[in-house]
Amino acid sequence: MKPVLLLIAAVLCARADELARTLDDVARIASVMVDGDVCQRIVTARAEGYIIKGHPRDKWFGSDNYDVNHGPYIQTKKTLMRLARLNPAYYDVNLWMPIGESPRKIHVVIRNDREISQFWTFGTLVQDMIPEMREVLETDKRVTVRQKPGIVSVLAPVHNSLGDVVGLVEVVGREKPDAHENVK
Amino acid sequence: MVSPQRASLICGALLFVLPVRAAEIRLLPEYLRPDPFGAIVTEDRKNTAATEPAQVKLRVAKRGYASMQIVVYAEKPGSYRLRVTAPPPLEVDVFREWFHKMRSGGAYYPDALIPVSGTHESHIPNPDNRIENQKSEAYWLDVWVPAGASPGEYAIQVTLNADGKQAAARVPVTVLDANYPSDDVIAIDHNSYGSTWLPALYPKAAKQEDFYTSAELFRLIHAHHRIFYEHRGLYHQLGYGHAGKVAPEFAPELEGTGRNKRIANWNLFDRHYGPLLDGSAFANTRFGAKPIPFVYLPINPDWPASFLWWGEPGYEAEFVNVVSQMERHFREKGWTQTRFEMFFNHKKRYKGYPWDGDETRFEADLPYFAEYRRLLDKAVPGQSPVKFVFRADASWMLAEQARKQGGVIDFWVNAGTILSWYPDIVEMLKKRGDIVWIYSGTPEVAGPASAITFNPLRAWLWGIDGYIHWLAVSPGPDPWFRFDGGDTAMVYPGSRFGVEAPIPSIRLKAQRNCLQDLALLDTFKKTRPADWLKTEVSKRYNGLGPEDWWIAHPPITREPVQEWSNADIDSASRRSKARFNTLDANAWERVRRFLHELVTERK
Repeated sequence: MKPVLLLIAAVLCARADELARTLDDVARIASVMVDGDVCQRIVTARAEGYIIKGHPRDKWFGSDNYDVNHGPYIQTKKTLMRLARLNPAYYDVNLWMPIGESPRKIHVVIRNDREISQFWTFGTLVQDMIPEMREVLETDKRVTVRQKPGIVSVLAPVHNSLGDVVGLVEVVGREKPDAHENVK
Repeated sequence: MVSPQRASLICGALLFVLPVRAAEIRLLPEYLRPDPFGAIVTEDRKNTAATEPAQVKLRVAKRGYASMQIVVYAEKPGSYRLRVTAPPPLEVDVFREWFHKMRSGGAYYPDALIPVSGTHESHIPNPDNRIENQKSEAYWLDVWVPAGASPGEYAIQVTLNADGKQAAARVPVTVLDANYPSDDVIAIDHNSYGSTWLPALYPKAAKQEDFYTSAELFRLIHAHHRIFYEHRGLYHQLGYGHAGKVAPEFAPELEGTGRNKRIANWNLFDRHYGPLLDGSAFANTRFGAKPIPFVYLPINPDWPASFLWWGEPGYEAEFVNVVSQMERHFREKGWTQTRFEMFFNHKKRYKGYPWDGDETRFEADLPYFAEYRRLLDKAVPGQSPVKFVFRADASWMLAEQARKQGGVIDFWVNAGTILSWYPDIVEMLKKRGDIVWIYSGTPEVAGPASAITFNPLRAWLWGIDGYIHWLAVSPGPDPWFRFDGGDTAMVYPGSRFGVEAPIPSIRLKAQRNCLQDLALLDTFKKTRPADWLKTEVSKRYNGLGPEDWWIAHPPITREPVQEWSNADIDSASRRSKARFNTLDANAWERVRRFLHELVTERK
């Protein structure tokens, strides 16, 4: 019995490694293709201000005032969608950007239509900085994350024209497609 | 206003008590909910008027229901047998009331209704409900009067056997010479999102392999439609996420891209929607097989056209190809009685798209709606018998949207609070021939039982078409012993009681009875001035006039919408809410009595 289990485990590991390699390839390309200057123009200054400032009597104030500039959003979203078509594997490419100063938070700016992410909490506007994301932003290197069973994310830096790392893409895939994830 | 002590006395007089040594029968009207210790829940005792009858008597038109409650009270623990019978052609449905223990405060409220047979054996305290010092069990009684019943006097017989003794009670039922109309004047909708909540509520059914393509999935979905239909309601289930992912059971399967994009397979869609759209899902119900009147389409910014082509010819080609194919399929199937809704539920905050489809707040988002109207009109032939509608759920800028989007949106679902500021907008939309609904949360069990009638009545008084419980199938992680209050649930999973389907609630029953009354009441507009009817009804309900249901143009409406906060909206609505916080348990009973007077006078 044991050799059979070992064989299954080996096959599963090999699949996960293959998915991780595929995602890493896409992430490498994404780092080149996603325009950080355009990304920096997506969230409106007004929306960002309200997210940071909040409202003393309205917990939804940041969400209700969340707004984006349509041109940069659409341009970037289409790039992410094209990146999600580079390979037939079941994966998505999401854009994350830091927000605020101290402590620095992070928020997903664009998600895509397979609705996969290892980090996004449904309905959350802004989240605490995720250590692996901080690592990408600080070291300018890709990081592979396997936090949830069956899901692999490769986080890759996004640069602007000054060479600054202004955000990151989460190239995230599932070993087994989930047709219902986040349809709620 | 009546003092709590006085209210308690009044409610005591309402109990029709038939004692035997071991246990006794107490009869209650539908709006006075019992607790498990022999009293009435506090909220139903508040503000009770002193003019109620001392005995439960039912008066009901044909093709409808009358309801009441039976309480079995016992000082000492013991078993009993309850028997309820009705003379033909009347039929009775009996439900045991579940006493939910509230997570906050630990009080008990009855709401979930477990179907039992007309002869039922049980024990006080009920071992399943686990209530320390429980003294009473309660039963909800639905009396169905078929259309063919003769007007006149009938009686329901209730007998109780406990400890070798027998007690009996008789409930007079007067069948009026009138029929509740088959069509409702107010559509009451119960909303839900996706199917992923079903496995948590029905773990046994979900164990089946490939659950999401199984007959079991569709049986459960249809069971939800059916329970709401049987209570004069509608059920909506949105099939896509905020970033455009469509669950397979909600849409036909697509293939190809650009000019070659097309529908490849209708199998799952037809299994899901076919019985709903031809009405066969409702065969063998008392109201008969009828197609559902409304349904969400899976259309969103990424379905059927890929957002990758947004603003390019490919987007239009994909959209028009597929939606045209849908129109053809629906026409060929004869699905022409349902309104197919193009509706955008996404919001920017969920990070899927750059505009708010739902509760739009920014002017720059409006052109997307106009573009989708253009695409829909291009896809659907003008003379098509298939009814496509463009629905928008509006709140912040509903007044501006209503003024600017005539001819674009034809189905408005508005935040009730904000619409209460704009009677002129309602008038404009109705003149245009648009469908107008409102939405809000569901009244919790910890309010007066009559609160469930507030929104249907408000819709009727405003002259609009419907009301939506924005989420009606989510009773929380433990509705039985740590209940959140039910503000997102009108039904409960029956699994705990061996029923692999949703079971109803007291609120659902009371809402149904209110809807049948409203439908009948509305028929009197043919013989009485509508304004007079509304005035009389409103007066009886809570002593107010129809104009008091509006707060026309409060100061907030002169501020830019983008500056409003939810706190501002709450402040602007405070005066309105204060008018309704004295609602008493008998509010609807007084309206019903007025209706019965009208019926009697007409004859």
